Amino acid sequence: MGEIRIARQTDYDLFSPTTPIVIDNGGSTFRIGWAGESDPRIMFRNVAFRPRHRSTGETVTVVGEHDPALFKYFDCTRSSWRSPFDNNVVYQFEIMEYVLDYGFDRLGASSSMAGKVDHPILMTECICNPVYSRAKMAELLFETYGVPSVAFGVDAAFSYKYNQNLGICAEDGFALSIGFMTTHSIPILKGEPLPEGSCRTNVGGYHVTNYLKEVLSLKYPYHAPSITWEKAEELKREHCYVAPDYPSELQIFKKETKEAEEKKWVWQLPWVPPPQEELPSEEELARKAAIKEKQGQRLREMAAAKRSQKITDLENELHVLETLLSQLDEAELPEVASSILARSGYLSRQEIESAHSRVSQSLRKARGEPAVTVEENTDTATSADKYPLVSIPDEMLTPDQLKEKKRQIFLKTTSEGRLRAKQKRAEEEMMRERQNQLEEGRRLENPELYLEELRAKYKELSEKIDQRKRLKTNGNGNGNGNGTGNGNNVSGGTGRGERLNAAQRERMRLLTTALFDKGKGEDTFGLKDEDWQLYKLMSKDTDDDDDDVVDPDEAELERVAAKLQEFDPSFVGRAEAELMQSTQEPPRPRALTAEDYQVVLGVERFRCPEVLFQPGMIGEYQAGIDEIVSHSLRRLPNLDSSIKDRMCQSIIVTGGGSLLPGLEQRLETGIRATRPYLSPLKIVRAVDSVMDAWRGASVYAASELFSTQTFSLEDYNEKGEDWLKRYNIVYSLYD
Amino acid sequence: MEADVVRSEMVLPPVMPFKRVQMGDKYQKGQSRGRYWKHLKQLLQAENFISLPLDEPNYLNIESPPSMYPSKKYCDITGFEAPYVDPRTKLRYADPEVFKRVRNLPNEHVQRYLALRNAAVIIR
Repeated sequence: MGEIRIARQTDYDLFSPTTPIVIDNGGSTFRIGWAGESDPRIMFRNVAFRPRHRSTGETVTVVGEHDPALFKYFDCTRSSWRSPFDNNVVYQFEIMEYVLDYGFDRLGASSSMAGKVDHPILMTECICNPVYSRAKMAELLFETYGVPSVAFGVDAAFSYKYNQNLGICAEDGFALSIGFMTTHSIPILKGEPLPEGSCRTNVGGYHVTNYLKEVLSLKYPYHAPSITWEKAEELKREHCYVAPDYPSELQIFKKETKEAEEKKWVWQLPWVPPPQEELPSEEELARKAAIKEKQGQRLREMAAAKRSQKITDLENELHVLETLLSQLDEAELPEVASSILARSGYLSRQEIESAHSRVSQSLRKARGEPAVTVEENTDTATSADKYPLVSIPDEMLTPDQLKEKKRQIFLKTTSEGRLRAKQKRAEEEMMRERQNQLEEGRRLENPELYLEELRAKYKELSEKIDQRKRLKTNGNGNGNGNGTGNGNNVSGGTGRGERLNAAQRERMRLLTTALFDKGKGEDTFGLKDEDWQLYKLMSKDTDDDDDDVVDPDEAELERVAAKLQEFDPSFVGRAEAELMQSTQEPPRPRALTAEDYQVVLGVERFRCPEVLFQPGMIGEYQAGIDEIVSHSLRRLPNLDSSIKDRMCQSIIVTGGGSLLPGLEQRLETGIRATRPYLSPLKIVRAVDSVMDAWRGASVYAASELFSTQTFSLEDYNEKGEDWLKRYNIVYSLYD
Repeated sequence: MEADVVRSEMVLPPVMPFKRVQMGDKYQKGQSRGRYWKHLKQLLQAENFISLPLDEPNYLNIESPPSMYPSKKYCDITGFEAPYVDPRTKLRYADPEVFKRVRNLPNEHVQRYLALRNAAVIIR
């Protein structure tokens, strides 16, 4: 593209006011220069940007490309790069004005004292440009820039003329111009383009670059920020090519032959390997171990101190209780005993004794001695002792005793039940222990097979659960979505012919029968309590929540997952896997390598330019660029077939999009398919596809008869819009 | 303005000596200028091509007709030929491995793939 910073030209004043300025106003690039020169002086991207300057707060305008580092001074978030074009027609004349300002300024017009741009202007436009756009452009040039006269021409025709003068093509031929947003096929007869035969299809370089950018961003979402428009253009320019035969090229890549490997190109993004963690040195390790030891020791000391404190407390309490007991024993008179009791706060001797036994037990536990199971005795005591009344038959008891008996029966059954439950739990524990030991044994003797079995079981279980969940969510999604989407329409999903599963059918049945039958009489729905149970049946949201019972499959899955976590180094948990899939990142149990930072262009190299030949790939149902030539020919029915043959021998491919390698060969195959068998066909690329349009226009503007083709403000005002619509320059100006 | 911004001259000066009317006078500050310009669609509607004689070429006349070749279906993800379509997402895919990838795509990516093919349903 040339240097980013464009120097302002200094020789503006050296050109007389009769020298026209030539502007190639292209969809991607704006080129401006003097007539008669071989190269445009100034070229830049035909876009403008209006960011807000951070420090002053004012909105400024920037045109074309600039050093990206300077944009940090501007707030670039609220605005974007805008083009004056919509498809290939200029519609936004404010931006057009900014672009022209910049172009003229860099050409040196700011140094002139004239107060206007005092040179005739030759500007390019697309063929059959709508008159509104043309009129607005003429207005802009006349009224704002004070231009004396203006001429409009088609860039493809200028390119053809230039190549014709070089002898590349003949007087009759085709100009196939692959532009930014569009491609035109323009028949040229006797040196003049025939608009009635031209054909435009709405694919161009922009679509190829955009397709490449999107496809790469979707394939490598992790690197999406690095895949900018500029980078995509660079990749396209350097690595894309047109496949001579698309299906066979696809096959090469599908079979992954060696040829495919060679054709792949890898773009290595900048990547810094993470710094190696230094292994801590010996002394580091020793120091850390010592610190840990000390901490452990401190904790142990604290625990020991607490324990001894507790023991002394308990001993004291025990001592107090023992003295109390001995006092009570010594006391002979009951009054003394009761007074002692009252003072101590215990109600009876039994209480003191029980407290005593309790304290001595805890003391023993604290000291680490096995607790004497005094409680057990009460349990294992024969039930007859505890529940004396149970064994006595009913007739022999008084009503009070009967009540007592009932209570004892109840207590007995509950305690027996508790015992039984405990036994069962102990049994289960033993069984599980035995199973674990068996599994351990199996694992140790054949680790590989064991892992395989585990993995298979895991997969099976997870699939089962997934399927069940999917069925449920599908059903839910269908039912709920339809319900909310259709409002009162009860029939929901059936309208679309979707197959309802059993649950949904049941729901439908309930809804239709319960709520909507009873044509005669009143609606008696809510009168019976059972009716409201319908809601419970119908509501599918409560399905899972009501289940307090843990799904046995899921429990099994958890167990297997835990085992796999332990033994299998490459296992990735299901929850983790789901998380990963949702963020589209590759699983990272291993460290990042250089390969993760590579973007591979394999199929994309020729897939993206294929858009030009098959616009259906991006959803444009139009003809490809090889087909539009045949459409052009069909639009010229009055032409003799010999003339058509002659024209097909002189097809020029021009425009920026034609720089793709392999394009001409593919075009030839494509166009030959539409022409009669063995009719002559010759396709040539323009000498300089990008610059020839400007060069042709420059040569044209430099010719003496150029001034006969321009129109001035007076002409414009006098002759009106109709005339402007029919205005077309004559391209063959012969001196 | 910062020194290097001034030096690079990237910002357009508000006054250009070769212009008769300056931008500041033409476009008052604070007015929304975007809606002022007619987009191509509106331009073409205003042109009223139907009233014009049919054989004269105009912008719409020269548009290409649909392709005479039937459009081939290519896989949205890999680019190979795609005989199959995923009924849930309507993406085209080439073989079962690609199908797995299709099913695992987040919804945003699905919509972008469809938009690339101009097949996304836009709900406004």
